[in-house]
Amino acid sequence: MSFFSRSPWILHYDGSSCNGCDIEVLACLTPLYDVERFGVVNTGNPKHADILLVTGSVNERNIEIVRNLYRQMPDPKVVVAVGACACSGGIFARAYNVQGGIDKVIPVDVYVPGCAARPESIIDGVVQGIAALELKHRMTA
Amino acid sequence: MDTTAFLARVEEYHRDGWRLALINVTTVLPAAPAAHGAQTAVEAAAVGAAPLDGPGVFEIAWGFARGGEFKTIREQIEQGQSVPSISEFFGAAFLYENEIRELFGINVTGMGVDLKGQLYKTATRVPFSHGAVKARLAALAASAVKPS
Amino acid sequence: MKRTTIPFGPQHPVLPEPLVLDLILEDEKVIDAIPTIGYIHRGLEMMVERVEYTEMGFVVERICGICSFMHGMGYCVSLEAIMNVEVPERARWLRLVWAEISRIQSHLLWLGLGADAFGFENLFMHCWRMREQILDIFEKTTGGRIIHSVNRIGGVKRDIADSELAAILAELQELGAAFKETARVFGTDPSIAHRLGGVGVLTKADALAVDAVGPMVRASGIATDTRLGGAFMYDQIDFEPVVETAGDCLARVLVRLREVDQSIDIIRQAIDKMPKGEGLPIENRPRGLPSGEVFTRLEQPRGEVVYYVKANGTKNLERFRARTPTFANIPAMIKLVKGCDLADVPNIILTIDPCISCTER
Ligand code: SF4
Repeated sequence: MSFFSRSPWILHYDGSSCNGCDIEVLACLTPLYDVERFGVVNTGNPKHADILLVTGSVNERNIEIVRNLYRQMPDPKVVVAVGACACSGGIFARAYNVQGGIDKVIPVDVYVPGCAARPESIIDGVVQGIAALELKHRMTA
Repeated sequence: MDTTAFLARVEEYHRDGWRLALINVTTVLPAAPAAHGAQTAVEAAAVGAAPLDGPGVFEIAWGFARGGEFKTIREQIEQGQSVPSISEFFGAAFLYENEIRELFGINVTGMGVDLKGQLYKTATRVPFSHGAVKARLAALAASAVKPS
Repeated sequence: MKRTTIPFGPQHPVLPEPLVLDLILEDEKVIDAIPTIGYIHRGLEMMVERVEYTEMGFVVERICGICSFMHGMGYCVSLEAIMNVEVPERARWLRLVWAEISRIQSHLLWLGLGADAFGFENLFMHCWRMREQILDIFEKTTGGRIIHSVNRIGGVKRDIADSELAAILAELQELGAAFKETARVFGTDPSIAHRLGGVGVLTKADALAVDAVGPMVRASGIATDTRLGGAFMYDQIDFEPVVETAGDCLARVLVRLREVDQSIDIIRQAIDKMPKGEGLPIENRPRGLPSGEVFTRLEQPRGEVVYYVKANGTKNLERFRARTPTFANIPAMIKLVKGCDLADVPNIILTIDPCISCTER
């Protein structure tokens, strides 16, 4: 078994999402989808996290927070953008307070489509994130 | 607007057991684009029927609810004028009042709680001011693909 | 006495959403709380400038992913009023059914989050497991779990077959029976009562003074509910607002618990009363462009929402405004936080059931 695939720790940040994707991320933790069976642990502390899961776009106020959370995570790290808003700004891309997708601020490794993104795709995104993490680890080791 | 008469009416609503349901502001477009044969604000801006020339007017509606009933007090003011706070009668008004100051640039005098412009912190300052709306519409019109 | 300022949020364990309160403390007592929002402010009301009125409904639905059905409905109802459209009866009943299903969904979601915050992870899992059943119903009937886009100006996009309605009702009633056990834990567990009982008491007089709405005021002994206004078929439903009198955090939990049962009963009545048959009209598409204005009020899971729509005879609305229930409940929340112990702040904030993306739009 590879180094990371057992237990990736995830930090979830809610950008300016409508709650739709957010709640779907939470739903992944509950009995029907239960990502914990893959060893995924949801943490609140960026210093413990391997994967940053972001829902919603970045706006004037949260842009610094996203940047900060990312900076605090140890290397290697992976960012998964969940939902249309996080990928590109989605339906709100042109609203005056929305600056766009998460990749405006930090590099994104996996884009999960959907509005709202379905739990199945979110889990798939996390699994792809683990592969990316593995790759980064091997490249830097 | 007649401040004294306005506050007297607000006080009456308060006395009669109404609840403040919302305070809403509309950035009034002086010339409705339809008058220029345009179907959208962008088209109107494109044909030069700049909907926002002239003094900027805001319409403010204070909405009150009591059971199933709903009533409003309406006032029109020009950009730069201020309105009195109603937080003396309706304590919850401060949130709406801070909001209209930040989003519409309307000065509210005597607010119960002054959040000092820290409620939203938007990228466009005062996004619903006449200047900001006008700039957005002009940009939209300029970027619209014109049929050749 | 020492004064300290503690920021609460924007990333706080009990809230999935960013809300910021600057808490000013004297020792352990909170003496003032200053709200800062704006972390989710997108400025979607301005989208009317570039999105045509026929499509604005999709934006409005995304004000909030929890009440998305009700937001879509509120928008369509507003435009129907402006455009004088008569909505077919079956469509109006279907909307009511979906609206009440949304309420159950939202309350289960909140009860789960609440349970997790006061230390009952197991209850959280139970509530969310049941919530998945509700989402399945949504997915079967609308095609979407979260964002449904089933409302249209003039009616609804899809019908639900009568046989399916019966099956849904049976499923909901089964869920209601299973929920009794969960509700019992919420209502009788001594440690829940200990953590929430007597905490954050909003007296009846205060609830009136701060213009709060929804379960928040009903938990303080005020029998108000926008549904009593009778619009949207509620005049044909027999129901009483759920009222508790204690006004504390526990009372707010109890109101929502009982409202789950109430919604199931309302759905039963609605399915019973609606015109039956296949191929009944469910949509009456309006013609022309809207001109005029309207205020619309609905009872969402968190309380009354007010929409204002102003149309000027063009494809773009002149103004769309939503005043959501959490916005109306923030003054009450601040009132409760003032004077409480720091350790009670999370429970107080949580029990108003804050929805920040609604509030900021
Ligand atoms: S992608 Fe859609 S569901 Fe997800 S946060 Fe954005 S608007 Fe909401």
